[in-house]
Amino acid sequence: MKLALATWNGRISPLFDVARQVLMLDIEGGRVVKRHAESLPGTNSIAQANSIMALGPDALVCGAISKPLAGLLAAMRVRVIPFTAGNVEEVLAAWMARTLPNPALTMPGCCRQRGLCSGAGAGDGNRRRCHEKRRCHENRDTVNRQGNIR
Amino acid sequence: MKKDIDKNLGPGTNAILESISDGVFTVDSDWRITSFNRAAETITGIRRREAVGKPCSEVFRASMCESDCALRHTVKTGRQVVNRPAFIVDSAGRRISISVSTAILKDGKGRMVGGAETFRDLSLVEELRKELTGRFEIGDLVSRSAAMRDIFDVMPQIAASEASVLICGETGTGKELLARAIHNISPRKRKPFVAVNCGALPDTLLESELFGYVKGAFTGAAKDKPGRFAMAEGGTLFLDEIGDISPALQIRLLRVLQDRRYEPLGGTGTLFADVRVVAATHCDLPAQIRKGAFREDLFYRLNVVKLDLPPLRKRREDIPLLAEHFIGRFNRLQGKAVTGASPDVMALLMAHEYPGNVRELENIVERAFVLCASGRIETGHLPPDLAGRTAAPAAPAGESMNAQTRAIEALAIRDAMERRGFNRLAAARDLGIHKSTLFRKIKALGLVFQKHAGRAARKADLNVPASRETGENPPAGHRS
Repeated sequence: MKLALATWNGRISPLFDVARQVLMLDIEGGRVVKRHAESLPGTNSIAQANSIMALGPDALVCGAISKPLAGLLAAMRVRVIPFTAGNVEEVLAAWMARTLPNPALTMPGCCRQRGLCSGAGAGDGNRRRCHEKRRCHENRDTVNRQGNIR
Repeated sequence: MKKDIDKNLGPGTNAILESISDGVFTVDSDWRITSFNRAAETITGIRRREAVGKPCSEVFRASMCESDCALRHTVKTGRQVVNRPAFIVDSAGRRISISVSTAILKDGKGRMVGGAETFRDLSLVEELRKELTGRFEIGDLVSRSAAMRDIFDVMPQIAASEASVLICGETGTGKELLARAIHNISPRKRKPFVAVNCGALPDTLLESELFGYVKGAFTGAAKDKPGRFAMAEGGTLFLDEIGDISPALQIRLLRVLQDRRYEPLGGTGTLFADVRVVAATHCDLPAQIRKGAFREDLFYRLNVVKLDLPPLRKRREDIPLLAEHFIGRFNRLQGKAVTGASPDVMALLMAHEYPGNVRELENIVERAFVLCASGRIETGHLPPDLAGRTAAPAAPAGESMNAQTRAIEALAIRDAMERRGFNRLAAARDLGIHKSTLFRKIKALGLVFQKHAGRAARKADLNVPASRETGENPPAGHRS
């Protein structure tokens, strides 16, 4: 499967709508077999979505993303794991370990949107009791051993 | 976390920052948030305890963070940034317009310890600005009406998908423009956009036109000819007036839409069609299905996404905007210097019913350009019967009693007709007058109602001109 990570200065780009770089990863058998960086226009939603579609990822891990752009990508059948924050290698490791999304790698203020726990202690990587347990499980993407989304 | 604010800014400053409506945050030398005021919490939707200690770009998520950070600029140059426009995306994915100002934070000895960023929520200002001057524009389509805005909002998503689109709307509402706009923002935009008017061609000709033919398929077929499906390969095929095609052709079209395969006329090989189909009609297709004139399965195949283009009379707020748009376009095309339309002209344009919709308005403006080379378009530049026809309903206060009575009568008749779906008998009943009286008044007041309404529509189906049925004069401004 192909995974795209929107990156900036070694971290996940804070806002995908204007992100200029994406790291493309080919994952096979639970290992990254190929990785290369690609440029994005970062100018408007349609150009951004078209560029991502041309790269053909199965999933995109990015930071904040506006609703219209997320809708465009959904229409193009690109799975988006939004509001992710952190070091690129940490995020990739979390993806491979099937622990993405998780509170430690989620942007501030976004846990509630995703149904993940929030507040003090969220940054320590522990999953805390979630008030919206049912929604929380519905929203979580799961990744199998091969690194594919289920 | 409150201590952070106290530590950096002192209790007095903290109290002030908590009371203002602008968002304020401060960062240390590692660009991590050290304080976050109440308004910043409200605007971003992020709690202070979640924000403090995090990289500012991951909390603020502004369009300028990555390429043109205002605070970084201030730290580097020592110069403040004031009211720079940007947008942020909150946790719900909403884009919020803001303006940003920056300052450097120094300690008692004048050493730089960090920076402060102030931001103001401009979304309300932005919304009001749109209300006042806002126009939505995609391709050649311009509008400020709420009904069109709904269409514009979903267009990017429709364009990005591969689903068939059915555009419904009266003649002249801009169905082809909408189809082109969808194509131009779609991933297929670099491939051809091919438009076919299905109502303009006889059935047998349309079949060969759509699917092409091979040499010898019929007398006169001297060589192979690719069809419109082949010409639109990789792009978009726009089928206008889809409601006019024969049942036999409907079956062939259904097969292409379902299997993406077709055979040229007289050919034996099957061709694959990588074409997105956008169809349009002015007909009521469900009614056609009930009559057995249109296949239900084809309708559902086309009707994956349906867009209803409202007629111009239902979005009158667009008339000044469109008139201005056409004036600008004809000025460019014809090298003229027409500055606009006079208030009288605008009043007449606003009062007109536009059976020919946007195309009719465009033609009225084009006609005015023939007579007017510069300055403003005056009533004398309009078609005489346009002014004559609309003068009665638009009679202003201050006119004679007779003129005002006529205007009120015209308004009452229009209201009743619209309320009753242009059924004259029902409208007469509503008004408490005999239908003959209503007919006489419609004629006397010079009122014109939509062409495809009531009995006129049924007669139109039988190719009888509406004017013969209603006794109305065909409108000169009606060019559609």
